[in-house]
Amino acid sequence: MLKTKSKAYWLFLAPALIGLLLVVIVPMLLGLFYSFTDWNGLFFTKSVGFSNYVAAFRDSGFLNAFWFTVKYAIVVIISVNVIGLGLAMLVTQRMKGANALRTIFFMPNLIGGLILGFIWQFIFVRVFAAIGTALHISALTGWLSNPQTGFWGLVILTIWQMSGYIMLIYIAYLEGIPQEILEAAEIDGTTPWQRFRYITFPMVAPAFTVSLFLTLSNSFKIYDQNLSLTNGGPYLSTQMLSMNIVRTAFTNNKLAYGEAKAIIFFLVVAAISLLQVYFSRKREAHLS
Amino acid sequence: MKQVRQLLAIIMLSVASIILLSACGTNQESSGGKDITINILQGKVENNTQFKQIAAQYEKSHPHIKVVITSVGGGTDYLSTLKTRMSAGDEPTIFSVAGPAEVSQFRTKITDVSDTKAAKLALPGTLDAVKEGNKVLGLPFNLEGYGFVYNKKIFREAGIDAAKLTTYDKLLAAVKTLNAQKKQLGLKGVFSLPGQETWVMTNHLGNVFIAPDFNGNVKTAYTSKKLPFTREKEYKRMLDLENDYSAGNVMQTDYSQQVSQYFGLGQVAMIQQGDWIYQTVAQIDKKFAADGIGMIPIPVDGYAGKMPVGVPNYWAVNSTRPKKEQQAAKYFLDWLYTTAQGKKDVVDLLHFVPAYKGFSGMKMQDPLSEAVFQHTQTKQTTGWVFAGYPVSWEADNLGPDVQKYLSKVMSWNDLVTDAKQAWANLQSTK
Repeated sequence: MLKTKSKAYWLFLAPALIGLLLVVIVPMLLGLFYSFTDWNGLFFTKSVGFSNYVAAFRDSGFLNAFWFTVKYAIVVIISVNVIGLGLAMLVTQRMKGANALRTIFFMPNLIGGLILGFIWQFIFVRVFAAIGTALHISALTGWLSNPQTGFWGLVILTIWQMSGYIMLIYIAYLEGIPQEILEAAEIDGTTPWQRFRYITFPMVAPAFTVSLFLTLSNSFKIYDQNLSLTNGGPYLSTQMLSMNIVRTAFTNNKLAYGEAKAIIFFLVVAAISLLQVYFSRKREAHLS
Repeated sequence: MKQVRQLLAIIMLSVASIILLSACGTNQESSGGKDITINILQGKVENNTQFKQIAAQYEKSHPHIKVVITSVGGGTDYLSTLKTRMSAGDEPTIFSVAGPAEVSQFRTKITDVSDTKAAKLALPGTLDAVKEGNKVLGLPFNLEGYGFVYNKKIFREAGIDAAKLTTYDKLLAAVKTLNAQKKQLGLKGVFSLPGQETWVMTNHLGNVFIAPDFNGNVKTAYTSKKLPFTREKEYKRMLDLENDYSAGNVMQTDYSQQVSQYFGLGQVAMIQQGDWIYQTVAQIDKKFAADGIGMIPIPVDGYAGKMPVGVPNYWAVNSTRPKKEQQAAKYFLDWLYTTAQGKKDVVDLLHFVPAYKGFSGMKMQDPLSEAVFQHTQTKQTTGWVFAGYPVSWEADNLGPDVQKYLSKVMSWNDLVTDAKQAWANLQSTK
């Protein structure tokens, strides 16, 4: 903690604090307040206690979206981290074109989620179907038109977008591993797998903390990719939590109910993320 | 403790200064020598340029009035913008609402416009959705209609007269004829049903078979505690027909594929759509759009030759604005729909099918609007009730259920039961 809490200190801090207060804290408290009323966006007439929250837990659409998001998050967290770490190991090898590859792998991350969704929609709907009809593979036609392929479509899209970003984090930590440790291990006659398992893996543990946190919170909060790729369809089977909340609030015009769902969503994501960070931290290796 | 107090003081001061600064911002709004400013907020972005042209014209002939048009696109975006501006105190003088549900949401902000000339000239039935006793709470933008938009050349080659397809059996026979000649006509299917767009199947197709339950009156639907759904069998029959003879994978087809790809490129003979697709088709092939397409009503037993025509949006005048401004707003709307210049702009610039009397003899700008206009002139129309469906009934029940039915994971009987039950539930808790 800083000890010099002079006027200048607070003055410099003020813009950030005011921003945080006005854009995050005040709206959040207001939202919390509105979630206990029958607010419709313009005014509210009465307090309704916890009934919005009770209704949320009985709302099959909300619960379905919840499960879908959890399943999606699990698959995405595992695959993005495995692929991200794999790519990072690949481009940190001494090989030609490593830098070019880094750029290429990172590129999808620079494209906005909405556009990515439309690009992949084209690939799944047109390109897959064309290949499927040409080669008579029926599994390739009709992607995004049923819940299973819709799910995998979303997963593939996210992996493609996020792996490059996670790769960057892993690269930073991989390059920070002191070469002498690896060399010593090599001289001692270890296999490459042993070096990965007992040296590299523990040394990049802090990267896991960061990457898991990022993939976890991102995959829970995902909205734009969902909107442009499947728009929740077919029959709301690929609707994620954020989309369910937006639709409740703005399409169905139940703003207070939407607020209640959003608060539940926030608490769940915050709880999972904090638990994850706490446990990952405990596993990090410390060199001293 | 002292630090906390200081922190609080600084935060309070900053908040206060921000509020003061922003207050200055709104107060300094200059009217530029004009006496009254009419602020208009509306959701048809595609008409933004034309509305601005009309506003500029109006300002020229009415030097004391300033007309500011703000267009915000897409259904949800528009409503949240309107709500935000209302609650932030930056309220428009005129805003658009889409039916009874939105009227009741903004009821406290809407003034009675029954004293306008336009309200007296509105075509019968077009004010049903916005009437409250003797009060009229909105003025129609325009009329839109839908049916089967067909490819004239393909129909001619197959020897089919579109005007004669007035019953289901005749339509079925024509569909079979077309299907048999698919190869010669270069078709991928007779129809293209966009399974991703629930509104095409529920709001539009559904309306045709649900409207008779409520005599085509949207207000009756909006207040009805129950959904009789007496024509569900007919509904299923028509949906099945479009689905069975559709090109491509139905559950993967969306609006743009249906209109641009399948219909625009002549790969299907007809699609269930409305007059709003004209611009899209014209972008692909101007000549085809102008001469090659026509529209017929969806055949319904007992309603032969009648086209579902309705009002997509209404102008509402804000009751919380100063009296003088409200008066100017009403005067502007009257000017737009009842004077010679205004009428010309409505038809030629906005390409609107008018919802008012006094337009007979005028020619619409495209064949689809012309079809809608002719049906209204000869009173061969039925109403739109889908704006009176209970809020979220389409989004959460009928829409997903129809998709489930088409994907064969729900039976039609279950769909009917769920539709009726959900309707009753939603209406009882409203």
